[in-house]
Amino acid sequence: MNRYFRELSVAGALGLLLALLAVVAPAFYQPQPLLSLATREAPTLVVACGMALVIICRQIDISVGSQFSVCSVGAGLLAAHGWPAGLVLLASVSIGALLGAFNGVLIAGLRLPSIVVTLATLVSLRQGLNLVRQGEFVNLPDGLQWFGLSQTDGQWTLVAFALGLLLVFAVALRYLSAGRFVYAVGTDTEAARLAGINPQRVTFAVFVLMGALTGLAAMMNIIQSPQVQPLSGNGLELKVIAAVVVGGVAISGGRGSVWGMFAGLLLLACVSPTLTHLHIEAYWEKAIQGAIILLAVVADGLRSRKENR
Amino acid sequence: MKYLPFRLLLALSLAFAALAPAVHAADQKLVVAMLPKAKGNAYFISCKAGAEKAAKELGVTLLFDGPTDSNAAKQNEIIENWITLGVDVIVAACENKEGISTALRKAQKQGIKVVTYDADALPDSRTFFVNQATPEGIGYSLMDEAARLTNSEGEFAIITASLTASNQREWMKYIQARLTEKYPKMKLVLTRPCDDLKDKAQSEATAMMSANPNLKLIMAICSPGVPGAAEAVKQAGKTGKVKVIGLGLPNENKRYVHEGVTDSVILWNTMDLGYLSTYAGVAVAKNELKPGAKSFKAGTLGTFEIQGDNILLGKPFIFNQGNIDQFDF
Amino acid sequence: MRTASTNSAWKSAVFSHEGILFLVLVAEWVFFYHFGTTVNRHDVVVGFGTIDRQFDILRHSCEIGLLALALTPIILTAGIDLSVGSLLGLCAILFGMLWHDAGLSIPVAAAGALVVGALGGGLNALLITWLRLPPLIVTLGTYSLFRGLAEAITRGAVTYTDFPASFLFLGQERWYGLPTQAWIFLAVAALVGLLVHRTTYGRSFRAIGFSPEGARYAGLPVGRRLALVYLIAGVVSALAALIYTSRLGQAKADAGTGYELFAITAVVLGGTSIFGGVGSVTGTLLGVAAIAVLKNGLACLPVVMRMNGAEELSGMLTGALLLLALTGSVLPKYLSNWRASHHSARPQTPT
Repeated sequence: MNRYFRELSVAGALGLLLALLAVVAPAFYQPQPLLSLATREAPTLVVACGMALVIICRQIDISVGSQFSVCSVGAGLLAAHGWPAGLVLLASVSIGALLGAFNGVLIAGLRLPSIVVTLATLVSLRQGLNLVRQGEFVNLPDGLQWFGLSQTDGQWTLVAFALGLLLVFAVALRYLSAGRFVYAVGTDTEAARLAGINPQRVTFAVFVLMGALTGLAAMMNIIQSPQVQPLSGNGLELKVIAAVVVGGVAISGGRGSVWGMFAGLLLLACVSPTLTHLHIEAYWEKAIQGAIILLAVVADGLRSRKENR
Repeated sequence: MKYLPFRLLLALSLAFAALAPAVHAADQKLVVAMLPKAKGNAYFISCKAGAEKAAKELGVTLLFDGPTDSNAAKQNEIIENWITLGVDVIVAACENKEGISTALRKAQKQGIKVVTYDADALPDSRTFFVNQATPEGIGYSLMDEAARLTNSEGEFAIITASLTASNQREWMKYIQARLTEKYPKMKLVLTRPCDDLKDKAQSEATAMMSANPNLKLIMAICSPGVPGAAEAVKQAGKTGKVKVIGLGLPNENKRYVHEGVTDSVILWNTMDLGYLSTYAGVAVAKNELKPGAKSFKAGTLGTFEIQGDNILLGKPFIFNQGNIDQFDF
Repeated sequence: MRTASTNSAWKSAVFSHEGILFLVLVAEWVFFYHFGTTVNRHDVVVGFGTIDRQFDILRHSCEIGLLALALTPIILTAGIDLSVGSLLGLCAILFGMLWHDAGLSIPVAAAGALVVGALGGGLNALLITWLRLPPLIVTLGTYSLFRGLAEAITRGAVTYTDFPASFLFLGQERWYGLPTQAWIFLAVAALVGLLVHRTTYGRSFRAIGFSPEGARYAGLPVGRRLALVYLIAGVVSALAALIYTSRLGQAKADAGTGYELFAITAVVLGGTSIFGGVGSVTGTLLGVAAIAVLKNGLACLPVVMRMNGAEELSGMLTGALLLLALTGSVLPKYLSNWRASHHSARPQTPT
């Protein structure tokens, strides 16, 4: 019971929020807007799966927002060039994996601190993209939206896919040896090494995976509308890191689950629509998100203080 | 080993020092520097196309740089760069009236001429403002169009770029004025900013519709807002039930206008705006256009009226299903 | 060889880092002086070589420079503060509010802003020291919180302008030859330099950065020292907010967005280790200067001018420069380790 206390408390907070909405703003519970909300958050969930892994591995990646933008624009340009959707998807994932591998080489290979490396790639990628594209939108060909499916089918597909991926990650982290390796490296690199794990290889793989997932998420995002906006990834890193941390994944590595992250993500995603439904000024959104992050870490801090006594 | 880079760098710097200050002569053409609010915005990209056409006709060099996200502080820094570069004239669309005027005054002090377009600065910091349409004209047109589509009754909501942009505030003022004066049965329930981002406009519009089930119309008064709102209405399956109108570019909205999601888009010809602004800037720099002039002839576009220090582009235009395909910008 | 070189090797490493950075700065400057100075149509010298441009560089680097100075002791303790840019924004609009809405005089409003800065820094300090939470995550939270409060208070809309000329003097005029704000920047640099390099506080920051547990056992008041650096960062952010407001003549909720990234870049570029324990204020100043000269110099190159993206190019190169500096700082160690043991190459983790 105690083991999942953190996850359950976030889920409890989410439940409270949803109950509150049911009472004061039942209009929130309409299938279409909810599906739209879920569809918009689906790519974020995919990126957050990767981020959970990175943070469990005791690293951080703040360049995902820029990676996301680069993949989106890259994929958009290829699609506009007439590439078929399948190839574009493959290209987007590959671009992401390559960008992740670049981070991985520096972090795992040269053992540079991930926060600084990804800070540098965040700035370089974003500005490079702006320089080349001058912030211009990419218009996508007609057939690409929802992969040619009807809108509702497309939305369900995206949501189902993201949830499926979440399930895969939950299972893999728990039952596959590769998943246990990530926890092992995040808990104690030296001990992991002594146990015969190559921590550098695990770290590298985690960053490549992070990049690939970001590429995938970018693709899931661009098929939702007829245009690609080059700034779409700005601030994504904070959103997913916040979700992961609120969900109880320890920033010091080795502890946490993707289920907690999922609850954290849902909680944060509900803030904005809640404000609209309660007719509160949208400007409070960022402050409230910050407060939720702080509350979550303060709760963690208080708990570990109590345990240490 | 350790000293090798030192020596190399030292030698390199000495070599440069020996050459400096060898000054290159810049090209002898007149330099026009055009500042958009956000350079990736389709609205300003089409202004740029017009400006490039004018620059070619006039034989001047055109610089076109601005923030990628509407950011007043970055606008100031870019102007300061241009001041040091000694451009001849700055043609600026101002994100924030008061903030930018300091930098523009500094430019004027250095002998650089300043003309504003799209959104004005304080009058003492520029010679002319190329006015695409009076705020009154825009506000009234939008409100009248909204009333026409909703039979002058019901709830509507507005999406703006940001509440700080001074031209948006002006338009809002006239929309509000027209509303209270002529359409008492209509109610403005909500105004939300979308930060000039289409995705944000879409999520704002989605939230607006579910929070206000009786919403009859969404009015987006910034160009990324219109397709954003249209996409939201389409995805919510409320095409026709919630009307979409706004200020936007024909090309971005064609798809939605044909699908019947967006009813009408109001805008002036943005390419002409860029063209006219460049012509005005060059004429001011060459001292051919001076304060007090009553009219101004801009290349192939013909003659424009000047009211005080505002050069008027003309009336806003309403694009709808019938005529939108005739325009390509 | 490895054992004998602990102390002096670190020292020389820091020395050479600053030395190299200084030469890079000189080379940068000479390069831009040479290629970035032109004559315009009216035979007036314009571009990088003008004295005005040099003052612009100084003027533009003051706010990011102040934040970088504030971050140096923090990073020395192996901490980080992502919230400085947001706190700058919050202080700026509260300053505007106190002056414009509450009708206070400029000095009183400025004092109010400094108090707000101290409170913001104090919140970080409290959470980091009292609950021993990781600074990265605490300041990530306050990063959102401070910016969010600034937006909520002004509803994203209010912009405070029309400040009196006496206040604008701070950001737009010159005093004794230099841009006014440069004097404040230099004074803060001197103070932080003294604190870090000439007092026992500086030594305790380093000790905490190397090992907080070790420092605690050595009897250092770790909590109080940590609280101090975050508190200082808050106050300095508020100071930067005043300068920012004065330079632009406006206070808006988006003031200082993204500044934290450039400030951290400057500190790390200046040779301060992100793992704590090693670094200097001189390095930070050189880092700030290297970034500022790069940014302003690029804007003066005719080639870059025609690309219409000086800002973007300089951002991109700053990131690349940071990666280069980091790689350069670990490569020699790897090489020597590798040479020392060919087959079982297992380099030391730089912790």
